Amino acid sequence: MSSLVKCPHCGLRPKEEFTVRGEVATPRPDAGAEEAVWFDHVYLRDNPRGEHREYWHHSGGCRRWLVLSRNTLTHETSEVVDASTLKTGGAA
Amino acid sequence: MRDYPLNNRCAFPHPDASGAGASINLAPVKDGFVFHVLGDAKSDEAALRQALAKVAPELGDDVRKSSPGQWFWVGSIAVSDVRLAEIQAALTDTFALVDQTHGRLRMVLSGPSSRTVLAKGTMVDLSTDLFAIGQSAMSQIGHIGAMITRVEDDSFELIVLRSFAGSLWDELQHMAAEFLTG
Repeated sequence: MSSLVKCPHCGLRPKEEFTVRGEVATPRPDAGAEEAVWFDHVYLRDNPRGEHREYWHHSGGCRRWLVLSRNTLTHETSEVVDASTLKTGGAA
Repeated sequence: MRDYPLNNRCAFPHPDASGAGASINLAPVKDGFVFHVLGDAKSDEAALRQALAKVAPELGDDVRKSSPGQWFWVGSIAVSDVRLAEIQAALTDTFALVDQTHGRLRMVLSGPSSRTVLAKGTMVDLSTDLFAIGQSAMSQIGHIGAMITRVEDDSFELIVLRSFAGSLWDELQHMAAEFLTG
């Protein structure tokens, strides 16, 4: 994995300061959605080759949740944003 | 609010175990206060300093940003429960204070070798042109979370959780061993 992550609040930090939470899931289904849809949302995860969006927690620094775009092939991280910006951007 | 009166004891087994006259010195900061200040998403440091100067000018405005909307406010004077309640009441609309004097302690690593010693444990770039005097970074020293603040030219203050302070103290002694005389 890329060993340096550019936290939008703290700057370049080593990956050891972060906790990886996993992929940014699809939007939450409606409460009345079919069981298969819910099963997919809760349990099934993609394992893409290439660009992947993940939640990272900067547990050793500012303790903010970040959304990080990482290429699983090259381990390059392209975009790192605070997770709160997803909500304001309407893309939660 | 504190439920118990503070019994301010040094957390370190050998508080004077740094090398006399060596190029490195490690000392606990025994007195004073550490308050965790929490603002809302829109709060900024200038507004906080302004509010503190108005509400508690005698305590100074040494605030160190730990995260967006969060700071550690530190000072060298002991603050009574009554005074703390007064300050909190005056800041109610904008900032919340959490007394951390019992929970986090401060220590100062100083001397010409301090940068070299700290660099063994943290990856934050502490070079003079990038890490200015007064600047802070919330990071880790080894596996222990600590806030590093450059207070003078070759002097760094560390804020660490009290329960980790003994371990960090020992680790720093090891990291500084090559610079200690005797």
